[in-house]
Amino acid sequence: MKDELFTMMGELPAMSPELMARMKEEANRNLLRMKHFSEMVMNPREPKVGPTPRQEIYRTNKSRLWRYESRRTIRTPLLFVPNLGISRPYIFDLMPKGSFVEHMTQQGFDFYLVDWGVFGEEDNGLTVEDAVTKILPRLARKALESSGASEMSVLGYCMGAPLSASFVTTHPEFPLKNYINMAGPIDFAHVGLFGKWLAPEVFDVDKYVDTLGSIPAEMVKMGFKLLKPTMDVSTNLNLWWNLWNPEYVSGFNALNKWANEYLPFPGEFFRQWVRDFYQQNKLIKGELVMDGRRVNLREIRCPVLAVGAKEDNIAPPACVKPLVDVVSTRDKEYVELPGGHISLIAGRGASVHCWPKVSSWLAARS
Amino acid sequence: MADNPNQQLLDMWKRQVEEGTQTWLRMMGQGPGAAPTMDPQSFWRPFMDQGMAAWSKVMTQGAAPSPDLMAQWKQFLDQWIAAWSRVLEQAMGTDTFAKLMGKQVEGFLNVSGPAKKAAEQQVEASLSGLGIPSRSQVTALARHIAQVEEKIDGLEDKLDRVLRRLNDTPARPERA
Repeated sequence: MKDELFTMMGELPAMSPELMARMKEEANRNLLRMKHFSEMVMNPREPKVGPTPRQEIYRTNKSRLWRYESRRTIRTPLLFVPNLGISRPYIFDLMPKGSFVEHMTQQGFDFYLVDWGVFGEEDNGLTVEDAVTKILPRLARKALESSGASEMSVLGYCMGAPLSASFVTTHPEFPLKNYINMAGPIDFAHVGLFGKWLAPEVFDVDKYVDTLGSIPAEMVKMGFKLLKPTMDVSTNLNLWWNLWNPEYVSGFNALNKWANEYLPFPGEFFRQWVRDFYQQNKLIKGELVMDGRRVNLREIRCPVLAVGAKEDNIAPPACVKPLVDVVSTRDKEYVELPGGHISLIAGRGASVHCWPKVSSWLAARS
Repeated sequence: MADNPNQQLLDMWKRQVEEGTQTWLRMMGQGPGAAPTMDPQSFWRPFMDQGMAAWSKVMTQGAAPSPDLMAQWKQFLDQWIAAWSRVLEQAMGTDTFAKLMGKQVEGFLNVSGPAKKAAEQQVEASLSGLGIPSRSQVTALARHIAQVEEKIDGLEDKLDRVLRRLNDTPARPERA
C-alpha cells in the first residue's frame, strides 16, 4: 500500500516552486478569510472612530463647533463645513492614518469642524436660510474668536459647499482668506441622477414634505442606495477578496459603520434645498436670496480651489467646476482627482491624491 | 466542451441573460424600431465571454483552481458588476424611469399620508385619555426650548456687537 501511494505521488505533474508558493499563500489567505469572517459574525466589535483629540468650542441647538488643535505652523486656521443631514461627520476623522482631520492637523492647520448635528421633528421648521444666516455665521465667528486669527479659510464639502458659499457671499464682514469647494454642487443643471429624479415635473416636493414632515433617515438611505444599486454587491465582493487582510477588515468595519448611519432632514430644509437648488438652480443664476441679501458667487474674491471626483455620481465634476468660472479672483484652480464622492476625501486613495493637494494649496496661501 | 454538464449549464445561463436583455430593451421602449440610445449587450457580452473562458479553463483542468484563475474570476466579477452598474445607471437616467419613480413616490404618499394621520390621531387620543404627554406635545415642548435657545443666542450676538463697537470706539480724553 505504501509503495503504491509513493508511485502515485511520483506520477503527479511537476509543479514549479513558484506556483507551489502561490498555492500555499492562497490556502493561507483562505484560512484567514474564514477566521476573520467567523470573528465578524460571532464576535462583532464596535469600530473606534474619530481618533483625533478635539474640544467643543460652541453649541447651539443640535449643532456644535469642534476644534482640532495642531502645532499651528500655518497661521490661518481652517473652517470645515460638511453636509447637513444625510450622514455623520466622523467620516472626516474615521481612523488613525485614515483621517483628513489628522492629516490637516499634522500639516499644522488648526481645524474647526462644523457638526450640524441630528435634527429631530422639533426642528422641522429649520430652513437652508436659517442654516446659512443664523447657525453658520455664529459658528464661524466662534471659530475665529477661539483661534485668535484675523482671517480664516473655509472648506465646503458636498452640500457644505453651496451652504458655505452662500454664507461667505452674504457676510462680507467675515475675513475669508481662502475658499475650497470639495465635491460640492454649484451648477445644479449638471447634478446627475438626483437632478433628474428631483425635477419639478416628476417630484412634488411640497406634497412630500407636507405628508412626511421630516425626511426620515430610511428615505435618505433608499435614495442613495438607488443611486448605485450595485454598490452593496461590489462592497461585499471586495470584502470577501480582502478578508484575509486584517487592516482591510478594520477599515471596512469603520467605513461600514458610517455607511449605515443615515441621518434625517428637517422638512423645511429639504423643501428649500430641493426647490431652490435642484429644481430652480438659483445659486449659479444669482437668484438666491438669504435674509434679504442676494447670494452672488462673484463676491468671492479670495483664492479659490475646486476639487471634483472623476467618478462622483452625487456631485459630478460638471456641477462642481462652474464655481471657478464665476468667482472674481485670478488665483483659482480646478482639479479633478480619482475616486467617488466619499473616496475623494476618505480612504487610501484620498491620502495619496486629495489630502496632499488640498493641504499644499492651502499652506502656500495661508 | 458541450458534453460537460457544468458548461451546458453556463451556456444555458448565458442564453437566458441575452434573452433577458432583449426583454429589458423592449420594456424600456428601445426594442426593434425604436431609436437606440443604449445597448447594454455591448457592455456585458465581452465580460460574459471572458467569464465563460475562465470557467472552461477550470473545467478542462479538472483540478483545484490555481491562484491565477481565482484572480481572473474576481476580475471577471468586478467587470461584470461595473458593466451592470453602467447599464442600470443609463436606465435610471431615462425620463421614463424618473416618471415611474415619481409615480411610485406619489402612490406611496397617497397611501401613507392618511394612514399616518389616522394612526397619529388615534395614539394622541389614547395617550390623552391616560394623561400621558403625546409625541406632538413633547415635540412642541422641544421646539419651544429650541426657540428660547435661539432667542438667547440672538441676544448674545447683539451684546457681542455692542461690546465690539464699544471697544472699537476711541476713548475720550478725561477732563481735568
